[in-house]
Amino acid sequence: MGLRCLRFGCALGLLLTVGPSGRPAVAGAQLAVERRLAAELQLRVGDTIRVGPAPDSLRSTLVVTAVYQPRPEPAAVMRRDRQIRMHLPDLAALLGHPDRVDRFGIALRPGVPAESAAAVLDRVAFGYRAHPSAEIASESSETFVVVSRFHRAIGVITVVAGAVFLLCIMLLKVEERRLDAAVMRFVGVRRRTIFAALLLEAAVVAVAGSTLGVAIAWIAGAATNAYYRRLFDTELVFSLVTPGIVGFSVVLSLALGLVAGALAAWRLVRTAPLALWSRA
Amino acid sequence: MALAWGVRSLRRHPLRTALSLAGIAVASAMLLDMVMLSGGIERSFERLLLGRGFQIRVSPKGTLPFDTEASIAGVTPLVRDLRADPAVAAAGPVLGASLYAARGDSLLPLFGYGIDPAAQGLYALTAGADLAPADTSGVILSRPAAAAFGVAPGDTLRILGGLDPQLAGAAAERRLVVRGLVRWIYDYRGQRSAGLVLPLMQRLSDAVRDDRASFVMLRATSDAAVPALVARLRARHPQIEVNSITELVAQFRQRLLYFRQLSYILGSVSLIVTVLLVATLLTITVNERLGEIATLRAIGVSRASVVRQVLAEGAALTLAGAALGVGLGLATARYLDAILTSFPGLPAAISFFVPEPAALATAGTVLLAAGSLAGLYPSWLAARAPVAATLRAEAT
Repeated sequence: MGLRCLRFGCALGLLLTVGPSGRPAVAGAQLAVERRLAAELQLRVGDTIRVGPAPDSLRSTLVVTAVYQPRPEPAAVMRRDRQIRMHLPDLAALLGHPDRVDRFGIALRPGVPAESAAAVLDRVAFGYRAHPSAEIASESSETFVVVSRFHRAIGVITVVAGAVFLLCIMLLKVEERRLDAAVMRFVGVRRRTIFAALLLEAAVVAVAGSTLGVAIAWIAGAATNAYYRRLFDTELVFSLVTPGIVGFSVVLSLALGLVAGALAAWRLVRTAPLALWSRA
Repeated sequence: MALAWGVRSLRRHPLRTALSLAGIAVASAMLLDMVMLSGGIERSFERLLLGRGFQIRVSPKGTLPFDTEASIAGVTPLVRDLRADPAVAAAGPVLGASLYAARGDSLLPLFGYGIDPAAQGLYALTAGADLAPADTSGVILSRPAAAAFGVAPGDTLRILGGLDPQLAGAAAERRLVVRGLVRWIYDYRGQRSAGLVLPLMQRLSDAVRDDRASFVMLRATSDAAVPALVARLRARHPQIEVNSITELVAQFRQRLLYFRQLSYILGSVSLIVTVLLVATLLTITVNERLGEIATLRAIGVSRASVVRQVLAEGAALTLAGAALGVGLGLATARYLDAILTSFPGLPAAISFFVPEPAALATAGTVLLAAGSLAGLYPSWLAARAPVAATLRAEAT
């Protein structure tokens, strides 16, 4: 077994190194190893490994007592960190920082507002700061807020590109019907009827295109999830096609298709039948 | 000649051409943005790391600089050993830790850099004076830190380290004279940072006992010497991590896989949209002009000329759309960059969308090739149109 450095996430947030077993410094200590690390180091429950804060100080021998699957963490998925868990006193002794922690949680009595409790603690604080859980959640999700804003901006650009594309295709498609429109006008069909027929055709094309688009999105989403889950060895969901997203996309494309079809049809029915005939 | 013919043909249907141009402009703007995104942040990161000429970073085993709270013990003999290598021009140890400074009755946190002023690659002086190598009574501040504490060069600031909640006191405290204001290269926007000489920083952050530093920056005598120097240092110091900037950028690239893949996918979609638009427009135009094309063929214009004309029409459409798309793309890139650079903790000097002449030229070439290729099918339709049958159909 080679040396392996890993981020220790649960208590002191420091770097540890594991290696083959040897002379113990923390006797009888236990640790739990996350599934991916156990697989990479071929560890099983009952194995003994040496752990230390640096590659040249692997002084502690610990027994693997559990292999666990950590909760999927979106913020850490790109980092590919590996974690182990130990009892706090064992870790503190190992690191030479007895009675020290990075942070700890406080459960309040029912009815006590977290903000006022944090404010009271902060008034008497020296060397620490109290944060309500909601504040921590808000700050730690800032990265995903930025990513969401980026996705929305890209989405707006894509919608604009799609709208222009749709308008262009609808215009070309309706213009192809110049001969039909001219003939219908010659035999006495009213402009309104021709307009409605062209609009209906545009709606059918928009609905068919949307349905196809939803199917492509569903397949692309499934492929994205399969690829990234395999790549990062995680259960996280990377692409989610919700009914809300489907509804929004279908309504938007239908509206754009109808607007584009209406504009092109209006332009066509305004033109004199003879002009349509000659251009066709 | 063929291009002029193509342009004239496009001008016959102004609305249709304008809409197609708008579509191609938006698609090429997206392509441009995605090309800038695909490698922009890597180049930006590389420039940031190489900005002060230090090509190598030495960090705790298994980590990257400031990636964890791990640090290297016994840094003084390590730096002495590194400097003894003939290929090393400079070695600058850096220790990063949280400090506090007094503002009135309260203490505000700030990030402290312990440095060797004679070999530093972390800041550029903007006002006042730099720290002297053995200056244990001076401090340099970022502008946000100076503004937060209301100090300027020459003022005194009380800095504390190792606050103990049980004793309600600081393990170490110093009154330091603000020597100068600096721009820290790796700071995020608004970051309050202070720079002290390494021994003083070690005392304030309880790192003096083991003589610790977060990482060491190395400048090689030449870029060519870097790979051999890295290999030599790895063999000599297996207990630490030695990485060249190229290797750090490669690791950084792995973490930014998402943005690269997103840029490839959206760039490809943009190209497909362009091809579809150009192909559709040209196919309909060719179908409308079959009689004209048959007449041209009948009076002796060759098939190759007809094909060239249709291809040129596609190229002209793509070129005009792409020209419009450049401005649009640069504007949207600036907007998208403003969104992404608001990531918490990201150095202010990093950009996601970096316009590189080579990348832009590649994007332009690919777009033009795609636009021309889109004309293949309509040009094939035009070339195989039966002359006699088409003319007869036109006449009736």
